[in-house]
Amino acid sequence: MASLIHCPHCGVRPKEEFSIRGDASLVRPDPEASDEAWNDYVHIRSNPRGRYREHWQHVAGCRRWLVVERDTFTHEVFSVTDAAAATVAREAGR
Amino acid sequence: MSRTYISRHPLDDLLPLEPGIRAVDHLDIPRVVAIVSVMAMDGEEASVAAGLAASGDASARFSGPGEWLAVSQPQTAESLHRNLSLLLAETAYIVDQSDGRVVFRLSGPNVRRILAKGIATDLHPAIFETGTSVNVLCGHISVNLARTGENEFELIVMRSFAVALFDDLKVMGREFDLSAGFSVRG
Ligand SMILES: [Zn+2]
Repeated sequence: MASLIHCPHCGVRPKEEFSIRGDASLVRPDPEASDEAWNDYVHIRSNPRGRYREHWQHVAGCRRWLVVERDTFTHEVFSVTDAAAATVAREAGR
Repeated sequence: MSRTYISRHPLDDLLPLEPGIRAVDHLDIPRVVAIVSVMAMDGEEASVAAGLAASGDASARFSGPGEWLAVSQPQTAESLHRNLSLLLAETAYIVDQSDGRVVFRLSGPNVRRILAKGIATDLHPAIFETGTSVNVLCGHISVNLARTGENEFELIVMRSFAVALFDDLKVMGREFDLSAGFSVRG
């Protein structure tokens, strides 16, 4: 587990200050989408060995949701961005 | 102002009423501090930050983007709330937190070594400069930590965690003979 996370608002912090929600790359299906699509979105998760984008909440700090991009094998952290900023960037890139 | 309820400090039963012998490292607990949370409205973060910095009578403690705790000792909670509401009208939401938070003032030459036992942030004087403030985990308790002087820090904690944090700080400071007492200033 990556043990030091560089929060864009609070600085370098230990992982104990965060709570992890999971995969940040999922896109919510259309409300009218099929049951299979919703089942995949709600329940089905890959468990990759390597680079992974996750939602982390800095509960003991600024309380913001962050997107942490890390390697599940080497524990290397590639980037940490505020989730709101990450969403704006993703939507701008469409 | 009339008080309907009896105001009790959560550490009333744990600290002597009269100040005892003060060690070089001391935990000072002010009984009454005015604290309000300030949350900037969307897009107003910079103007609220500037307004808080310009108001000389309260110290702004960073707790998140666009969020602060404004702390004042001479003012009452009512006047702090009123003054900031006038100053930041239409740009921020201001809520009184005075009864819900407890302030610990830790000072002395070993203050960083004491805090390092519970806090995993770099507190070196050149990194954590006077005036810096952050939300941080102290042991298992989330606190707002601010450097208020050369060797002086303030911790603001939720009232219900005050006794637990007090116990933790006493253990953290035992090596340095940390003393503790209510502030003589009130
Ligand atoms: Zn943070």
